[in-house]
Amino acid sequence: MAERERGERRGKGEGRGFRRRGIGRRKVCRFCADKSMLIDYKDARVLGTFLSERGKILPSRITGNCAGHQRQLTLAIKRARTVALLPFSAAYP
Amino acid sequence: MPDRRYETLVLLHADLGEPGAKELAERVKKLIEDQGGIVGQVQEWGLRDLAYVLAKQRRAFYVLFEYRSTPKALLEIERNLKLMDRVLRFVSVRQAENAPPTPPRPVAARRPEREEPEFEGAAEFEGLNEEVP
Repeated sequence: MAERERGERRGKGEGRGFRRRGIGRRKVCRFCADKSMLIDYKDARVLGTFLSERGKILPSRITGNCAGHQRQLTLAIKRARTVALLPFSAAYP
Repeated sequence: MPDRRYETLVLLHADLGEPGAKELAERVKKLIEDQGGIVGQVQEWGLRDLAYVLAKQRRAFYVLFEYRSTPKALLEIERNLKLMDRVLRFVSVRQAENAPPTPPRPVAARRPEREEPEFEGAAEFEGLNEEVP
């Protein structure tokens, strides 16, 4: 909730203060947008979408995740890695 | 000491085969119960491909245990799991009291020819059986 409100405010504040560089839509945290989406280390399919082709965790700057959810996500990915549900690294494509 | 809600995902050696893995899963369940744990749901995910080669294996049997136990008992359970050489790896996580039980098969089956896993003992944690929307 709080995350989304903050995001909207920042969107309106465009032009004053911080100016967004470039064009394009503002990214919204997927986990804030869809409350039913839970971050679970066992769900390799969801977690896999936040990995690069190389198997690295994508920064929130790219995925648009809010800080809180990004923290939960990295923890879940690291847990998934220890039980070989996700790779630590993948072969260069 | 108050008991807490935990879950442990265990990886069993592929050489055990389906019956051997079931047997070992049963032993792990007994281990949890011997430590005073109350086992809820046990999910067998079957033989899955590993994301990387682990203990020279490409596959392993995944078994998920949901249970309640004291923190002290968990340490003892983990110590015993480490001693089982057919257990490749495991991860234990404390679950929130109000978290919904893990829905069946949260991870996509990579081998669709496999039949649905069986569930032994449905999760009977009080107030935890709300449907996930």
